[in-house]
Amino acid sequence: MSLAPASDIVGTKKQGRGLIGLLLVAIPVILVAWMVIYPILSAVVTTVWQKDASGVPGFTLKTYQFFFSDAYSLANLWVTLWTTLLCAIILLIVCLPIALYLRFAKGRLAAYVQGLAIFPLFVPSIILSYAFIRVLGPNGMVDILLNAVHLPKIRSPYLTPWGPLIGLVWDHIPLTVLILLAGLGAVSDASIEAARDVGAGRLRVLWNIILPRLGNSILVAVSFSVLGIFSAFTLPYVLGPAAPEMMGPFMQRTFRDLYDAPNAITQAVISFFFCIVFGLFYVRSVVKNQRGRG
Amino acid sequence: MKRRDFMISAGAVAAGSVLLPKMAFADPNRIDWYTSSDQNVIDFWTNIIKPKFEAANPGATLNLVDAGDGAGLQAIEARAVAALASKADPQADFFEGSDARLPPGALDAGLYVDFSKENLSNYSKLNPLAADIPQNITYRGSQVLLAFDTTKLPADKAPKTFADLVAWIKANPGQFIYNRPDKGGSGGNFVVRAIWEANGRDPSMFKVDNYKGADSDPMLMKGYDILKDIAPALMDQGAYTSGNTQSIQLLSQGAVTMIPAWSDQTLSAIKQGVLPETTGLVQLTDLALAGGFTKNTVPVNGVNKALALKLQDFILTEEIQSAVITELGGFPGVSWDYVSKELHDKYASVIPATIPTWPGGDWDKNMKDGWYRNVAPNVDRTK
Repeated sequence: MSLAPASDIVGTKKQGRGLIGLLLVAIPVILVAWMVIYPILSAVVTTVWQKDASGVPGFTLKTYQFFFSDAYSLANLWVTLWTTLLCAIILLIVCLPIALYLRFAKGRLAAYVQGLAIFPLFVPSIILSYAFIRVLGPNGMVDILLNAVHLPKIRSPYLTPWGPLIGLVWDHIPLTVLILLAGLGAVSDASIEAARDVGAGRLRVLWNIILPRLGNSILVAVSFSVLGIFSAFTLPYVLGPAAPEMMGPFMQRTFRDLYDAPNAITQAVISFFFCIVFGLFYVRSVVKNQRGRG
Repeated sequence: MKRRDFMISAGAVAAGSVLLPKMAFADPNRIDWYTSSDQNVIDFWTNIIKPKFEAANPGATLNLVDAGDGAGLQAIEARAVAALASKADPQADFFEGSDARLPPGALDAGLYVDFSKENLSNYSKLNPLAADIPQNITYRGSQVLLAFDTTKLPADKAPKTFADLVAWIKANPGQFIYNRPDKGGSGGNFVVRAIWEANGRDPSMFKVDNYKGADSDPMLMKGYDILKDIAPALMDQGAYTSGNTQSIQLLSQGAVTMIPAWSDQTLSAIKQGVLPETTGLVQLTDLALAGGFTKNTVPVNGVNKALALKLQDFILTEEIQSAVITELGGFPGVSWDYVSKELHDKYASVIPATIPTWPGGDWDKNMKDGWYRNVAPNVDRTK
């Protein structure tokens, strides 16, 4: 047995290397094409190619016309967009200071803060929902504490649009912090010290040195959380109001309670359209990054 | 063997074992049981029925699977219909909380066993109130009641009619809440009760096959008008919880004074200390809130059909029927004459003479969607 043939597996010729590379990416590409691209195309076709009143299949936009002329459906879409955008803004406001702190602080306290910031990653959202009702719900822990110091009760966010909003922000803190922290790793200590040497204050360092390098990470963090929040199900289902519903619970109800597959798929295609806009932001930034490197 | 050959053959074996279609078969002597019911019912089966049945039938096992809800169970039943057509194995033997009329077409396809022809030894003991088509059989019943906090509302002042209830809700704003009708039967049957109230309190007007689209919707709308009228007096000027359990949670936190609740779920909650001993229960006397007997079905093509029928017969025995009352807080599926005299006497006051029911199918579907479109959005939070 000689060792020489084994090296053929990785390919000694340039041509073979390309082929093996293609084979390596083939499995994920096939999986994406089969489990993601095909269902999307099939969903779009199902919604635009339907049987009419006499049972003859043909091109139609009737389910889209219904969605965009139905005030109830539009209110659901609107509350989903409202929740998503507000969540993204609040997430940045909450997570950017945490990430900055973790980038520059050292020692035991920073480790605890990091642990606390990552903690929501390990809490299933159904557990979070019931804990939320216990803490922020009517006569919950917050009310009991306020009552103990003779303050009035809070107006509970449970069963209002603010319920899922607060839950979703908490749920998405770890991912956002981690992405921002990774981005901050690209800011070298040397450049910050250089800026300080020429007399830049803290705000000026943040604005002129850190933020310009962080733009890409912010975009990625926002796209990721927006994609997750737009399609959220459990938190809006348990904590949100009966109406308007977010798109996740609305789709599920249309499909399973009303057995109305064409309209449920139409809602899915519309949700997908909004998500693809943010997905493109992400893809664009990744491509830009790679070109920068190459 | 050369290393390269070895790698290739090992890779081929690994790939082959992954790519081969995975086949699954139902085990003989294992009843694949699916339910649409809540956790308290699954606990009852896990802790009471499963050990007793397996002890009485050596070798037999019960595989208890939660199908989630009615729609989830119907998906499994639809699979059994497909298996019947292709003469395949449905991998299901017993459906708890089912209705033989669903999924549409299953009854005509002959999916379900006709229990009247199966010589079950306890068949004759069934409560006549539970009479239904012979493909449906029961073993437990429950009813939606009003559960309330007796420290805030003395039991003798609790409303006894629907009109009293509406007056009480309006006189005590923020103290009543019911769940969304599609998320649990307690809120659903409260909505149904309002629809009955608006249509002359006659449940017989609503049958599984007489929903007529636009002609029937005004009947639902009249009920929604009552609900819209009380909405501003509900908790948070019109909030609706997303399930039976969440309503009970709000009652237990003292956030509201009264909720509609399932009798069995409430009694279990009191027993477990989730609700305090001071929880009162009352049923409306002019027309009860809907309830009903939970129906079971058995598919004809299940691998363990004989064993599944044995299980259905087993849960109608006095031992299990008494446990339905004492452990589950439900009503027995057999006539009260067939449970122990001690239990019969203890519960004499709550034994219902009639239990009005609401049909599944089109009425139910349109009642729920209509509620979302007409009642739920009218929330004025500015007050």
